[in-house]
Amino acid sequence: MKKSLIASLAAVALLLTGCSSSSDSADSGGEFGAIKVGLVPGGAHPYFQPWKDGGAAAVAEFGIGGTEFNETGEWDQTKHNAAIDALAAQGYNAFGVFGVSPTDINTTFAGLKAKGFAVGSLASCPGGYDIVKEPQKNSADFCLSTDTGKAAYLAATAVIKEMGGKGNLVHLTGNAVDANTIRRMEGVKQAIAETGGKVKLLTTITDIDSDLQSATKAVTDLLAAKGKQINGIVTTAYNPAVAATDGVSSTKLPIKVIAIDDDQKILDAIKSGVISGTVVQNPWGQGYVGSWVLSALGSKKCTMNTPGLYVDSGSFLVTKDNVDTYNDTRQATSKEILAAFQNEYMTCKS
Amino acid sequence: MKFKKIFNDQRVVLTLLTIALFIFFGLRNYAFFNVDFVIYPLLRDGATLTVIGLAQLCVLSIGHLNLAVGRMAAVSALVAGASYQYWGLTLVQGAILGVLAGALLGAITGWIIVKSQVNAFIVTLAMDFALLGLVTFIYVTFTGATAAFTTKPAGMDYWRSKSLADFCLGPICGPKALPMMLIPAIFCLILVSFMFSKTRIGRELLSTGSNLRAAKLSGIPVENRVMTAHIFSGTLAGIGGLMLAYTNGSFTAAIGSQVMLPSFLGPVLGGTLLAGGAVAVLGTFIGTMMTLVIRQGLSVQGIGLETLNIALGLVLLLALSVGQIQKMFTSTKLREKK
Repeated sequence: MKKSLIASLAAVALLLTGCSSSSDSADSGGEFGAIKVGLVPGGAHPYFQPWKDGGAAAVAEFGIGGTEFNETGEWDQTKHNAAIDALAAQGYNAFGVFGVSPTDINTTFAGLKAKGFAVGSLASCPGGYDIVKEPQKNSADFCLSTDTGKAAYLAATAVIKEMGGKGNLVHLTGNAVDANTIRRMEGVKQAIAETGGKVKLLTTITDIDSDLQSATKAVTDLLAAKGKQINGIVTTAYNPAVAATDGVSSTKLPIKVIAIDDDQKILDAIKSGVISGTVVQNPWGQGYVGSWVLSALGSKKCTMNTPGLYVDSGSFLVTKDNVDTYNDTRQATSKEILAAFQNEYMTCKS
Repeated sequence: MKFKKIFNDQRVVLTLLTIALFIFFGLRNYAFFNVDFVIYPLLRDGATLTVIGLAQLCVLSIGHLNLAVGRMAAVSALVAGASYQYWGLTLVQGAILGVLAGALLGAITGWIIVKSQVNAFIVTLAMDFALLGLVTFIYVTFTGATAAFTTKPAGMDYWRSKSLADFCLGPICGPKALPMMLIPAIFCLILVSFMFSKTRIGRELLSTGSNLRAAKLSGIPVENRVMTAHIFSGTLAGIGGLMLAYTNGSFTAAIGSQVMLPSFLGPVLGGTLLAGGAVAVLGTFIGTMMTLVIRQGLSVQGIGLETLNIALGLVLLLALSVGQIQKMFTSTKLREKK
């Protein structure tokens, strides 16, 4: 019995050792047509869906070989790496990646770069250092992401203005041990500090962005317990934003809300006046600009002037006044960012 | 007759099934035979999940569960990461500290179970919550916005990226497809296998899991064995946590957060009984590899997230049913003979 088992295992070993690599490294040609861009978020989340359209727009406009959106990472760095590997095995040779773990993703980027791929960090930069001051520590070619601290500051300032510059504010956000969340918390605290004590941070609720159900429960509990003390809510994560919009709408409490992102529920609530506004990010631009930059790098047409450079993909305050036109502004900003890459951040062969 | 006997061994069937799946996926898309992007990472991840599966297997042997297996891995990684960052320890010194932390957590868990007589499910669930809070608190307190220990001791990247191709005896080098991470996994497999098959402690663990009352009446110190099983479980979870940290590149609170279910999958697919009393050490490796082959095979076919999970569930259900189907055929044939 044991002999047969060992024989079976030996067969597996023989199979493994006999295998050879079909595409050991990226060998991109000189044209965008030879570049296939893998856009790999950390897992499934509505935020990343516009990457698909952004990538598709870049393919149509610039003749890129193709883009593939793979969201099978399931928010686990090991599975995320496996998703990237699966694309690499299929011949994808440039990668726009959102790292599940900001401190681990640099290792993944270094591995991909070592194999000759063009790599961009999209929607989040590697953590563990200040990317603005030390871009050389970023193992990816560039990072195109929302300045999360700045976006949170923008949202908090807007809600404080709506509150009349005084009162109690609540901050709803995502994973407490995520570097981006910590930057968001700092952005909100900065806006509060500027009021000179007129606005108090009643509480910060973290870890409620994993799904809408847990966010809804947290908001319901919050409004039941402290609803009358709260003057404003600032949300810096997607699910809490939707939950806060629903909560304030159903309880009809006089709470000013600035949400994040542009879920249809949030946009409808802005139009009907239930909430004051939202801060939208630019995932479409990340997919669109990111795909072009990756193709330019992968085809060796351009090189980064500052490898690892951080570029803010933009954040925009949307209120009743610009709720119908903000998308045009966002797309125009994306084109400006693309032009900045072409003319300022990169050196390209003519 | 001998041929039939061979096919009654679940491990053989599972091995053949894994090979068949591997070949099937490879023939569907030749990219699946890629060494760098498929086989090497598959084996590296398989090595880590096997060690974590063995951590679960140790407590399954006495009929217990360890729902805190992932958090124990996280604590070991935390201790090792802190030792590299603050005390400048070498890779091995930090690893030893980390593994000892895992063993200590296992001992505490076992001690609580023995002294409180509360079900292991409840105790390890409580331990999981407590450790989640502790790990998060420590990372946020000590590392602020980074929320991770990022110091890499010398040699850490070696374990992540090197293969046996870097080991040469004269002109002959090892295969490129076999990652260095397989070495600690093989070491753990041999040790655990030796313990259960050749030592008195191993036999006593299985007896405790098989029938607690009978084990007590036979003079087996069952309370000590409960402690032993949980100490082994904590130790192996610690080794798994370090392997995860070395593979991913830093020491974070997220380490081990996704391994609880896979920790059961490998041993149970391999033939370990949830009720205790029987373990399949090599089966844990084969079972783990099969799940990874299915997942990555489907992924390389370009299957989307929802379809991937449905297909993964169906194939696993089929694989788990193979043993039952075999038994049904055997009993039907026996009845026919009678």
